[in-house]
Amino acid sequence: MADSAALDCRRASRLLSIACERDLTPEEEQALRVHLEACRGCREFEGQLRFLREASRRFGK
Amino acid sequence: MSQMPAADPRFAEIESHRPFLVRYALAQLRDPEQAQEVVQEALLAALEALAGFQGQSSLRTWLTSILRFKVLDLQRRLVSDRQRIESTDAGDEGEALLDELFDESGHWREAPQPWSNPEAAFEQSRFWDVFGKCLDRLPAASGRVFFKREVLGEETRAICGAEGITESNCWVILHRARLALRACLELNWFDAGVADGR
Repeated sequence: MADSAALDCRRASRLLSIACERDLTPEEEQALRVHLEACRGCREFEGQLRFLREASRRFGK
Repeated sequence: MSQMPAADPRFAEIESHRPFLVRYALAQLRDPEQAQEVVQEALLAALEALAGFQGQSSLRTWLTSILRFKVLDLQRRLVSDRQRIESTDAGDEGEALLDELFDESGHWREAPQPWSNPEAAFEQSRFWDVFGKCLDRLPAASGRVFFKREVLGEETRAICGAEGITESNCWVILHRARLALRACLELNWFDAGVADGR
């Protein structure tokens, strides 16, 4: 990620989703942390992703 | 299955070839569920056509030729499904969803708001109705990928393999499914005032 410092919400949300599938690289991790610190919307999205996962698991039982 | 001549002694004989046929289908399709399904279809077709079977070839050869057509048919359907995945979920329509959610500078048009006490929803049967309806609204292919991944808990690699798409394409599809599902739940549950009984 060349311009990792300039992570926007579109890309941050995508990284949050990808983190459900694989480990992020240290660079991705770092860029995401910087973004999340400044962005309440993406912090909400992160929690809601966890909710979606839990809801989906329960839906299947 | 009313046309099935169950009394025909060859019924049991046909059934005895099932394990072989499943193996044959597995070799072509790799997906065990699809293999079972396509064998079932082939056996039903065979039972219906049994009267016309003259016995010139062995029963197994005859059954295999029916199965081969069923497999080819399924493979054709899978290819068109895969094209649909590429052209809609990961393509322009998927982009359209992202453009709807994010502005030109990449910011949320409407940032996700806190959901009040979301876990309480698990106890409410109406929530599960809404959840199911939101799942149904996902585009067919991405709904299928999401269902396998999140509801059934399958590994992404296995899902992509069965769908014939790359793993990173799978991630994109899953991401878009999550964005769409989140937006649907927000609109129809958390924002709709049903979550806290308003």
